[in-house]
Amino acid sequence: MIFLLLIYAFILIINVPGLIKRKEWRDLTAFSILYVIAFALGLMYVLDIPIPSPMKGLQHLIVDILGIEYPQG
Amino acid sequence: MSIEKGKISSQQLLFLIAGFVLGSVLLIDFTVGITEQQTWMVILAALAITAPVILSYVVLAKRFAGMNLVQMNDMVYGRFLGKVVSTYYIFFFLMTLSFNIRDVGELYITFLMPDKPFIFLLVVFTAICAYAVTKGIEVLARVSHLFVVTGMFVIISTFILLIDQMDFSNFLPFFELPFIRIFQGIHIVSTIPFGETVAFLMIMGCLNKTEHAVKNTFFGLFIGVVSLLIVAVRNTAVLGRTQTIWTSTSFQTIRLIDIGTVLTRMDFLVGIAQTILIFFKCSLLFYVLVVALSQLFGLKSYLPLVLPLAGIEVIIAATVFQSPVDHAGITQNAGIIYSIPLIFVIPPLSLLIAKIRGLPKSERGKGT
Repeated sequence: MIFLLLIYAFILIINVPGLIKRKEWRDLTAFSILYVIAFALGLMYVLDIPIPSPMKGLQHLIVDILGIEYPQG
Repeated sequence: MSIEKGKISSQQLLFLIAGFVLGSVLLIDFTVGITEQQTWMVILAALAITAPVILSYVVLAKRFAGMNLVQMNDMVYGRFLGKVVSTYYIFFFLMTLSFNIRDVGELYITFLMPDKPFIFLLVVFTAICAYAVTKGIEVLARVSHLFVVTGMFVIISTFILLIDQMDFSNFLPFFELPFIRIFQGIHIVSTIPFGETVAFLMIMGCLNKTEHAVKNTFFGLFIGVVSLLIVAVRNTAVLGRTQTIWTSTSFQTIRLIDIGTVLTRMDFLVGIAQTILIFFKCSLLFYVLVVALSQLFGLKSYLPLVLPLAGIEVIIAATVFQSPVDHAGITQNAGIIYSIPLIFVIPPLSLLIAKIRGLPKSERGKGT
C-alpha cells in the first residue's frame, strides 16, 4: 500500500507541475483520467478486490454468446 | 498533426520489424500444443496467408505518408466512425501489450526466479519499457539492430549446439493432424506475431523516405520468419512428440545442451535473450499504444500518458489470466478471433476506400 502511494505520488510530481506551467489543460485532463483509472486499479489489486478481466468478457461474448470457437483436443 | 516528430529510415524499419517478430519466438509454444511436429509448415503457411495483408499495411502507410493509423482512420472513415475504429485498435494494443508483459512475468516466475513476487517482476519490466518509450521511436530504431543480432546469435548458436541431439524422423508423419487443428495453428501464427505487425501502421508514418518501405518490411519479416522456423525445427527435432507436454518447449530444448559436460545449463542465457527480445517488442507496442491514445485525445505530447498507462498495463497483465493454462486457452480462441477484423479486414478495406475516394489527395485539396 505504501509503495503504491509512493509510486503514484512520484508520477504526480513529475508530470503535473510541467503541464500546469505550460497550461496544457487538455493533456492534463487526459493524464488525470488515466491516472485515476490506474490508481483505482492499483488500489483494487492491493486490497485484493477482484478485477474483472476484459479477456474473460470477450471469451464469454465470442465463445458462449456468438458460439465461435475452435474445437478442443 | 502527428504527435511524433522523430524520423526513422527504412533500414531501421527493417530491424524494427525483425526484432518485433523475434520478440514472439517464445509465443510459438501456443501453436506447438496444437500443431505438434507440423509447426514449421504452419509458420510457412501463415506467412503465405499474411504476406498480402502486410503488403496492404505498407501500401496504406505509403499512401498516407507521414500519418499514423488514427489519422488514417479519421480520414477514411470520418471523424466519428474513425474514432470508433481507432478505439478498437487501442484496445487491441492495450491487450496485446498486457499479454506480452505477462509472458515475461510467467517466464521468470516459472523458470528463472520462482521465489520472486509476480507483481514485482511486472512492475520492474513495465517501468523499463516505459523509460524506453519516453526516449521516442528514434532511439528504439537506432538500437534495433543490436536486439536482432543478439536474438539471432542465441537462436543460431543453440541450434548448432543441439545438432547432435536432433532426430529428423521426429517430423514424420506429415499431414497426420486434422485440418481444423492446422487451420487453428495457421490462425494463431498469422495473428501472433505476423498480424501484430499492424502496430507498425503507427510507426511507418515516421519514415523519412517511403521508397524502399515494401522491400525492407518484407526483408525484416523474412529475418523474423527464419528465426521462428529455426526455433520450431530445433524444438521438434530435439524433443519430438514430447514437445507438447512442456510449458515452454524452447527452455526444455535448451536444457538438453550438454557439450562434454562443460557447456550445460544454458537456459539462463536463453532467458536473458528472450527478455531482451520481449522487452523490444513490448517497448514498441507500448510506444504505439501511447501515441495512438494521445492522437485520439488530440494531445500535444504523449509523454504525460506513459506512466499512468504503465500502471494500468501492470494491473491488467497481473489479473487478465488466472494461470498460464488459462492464458493459452483464451489466446488460442477468443484472443485470436476478436482481432480478425483489425488485422485482416480493416487495413485492406481502408486501402480500398482510399483508392475509391482518391484519398488523401482529394482531402488535401479540400483543405487548401
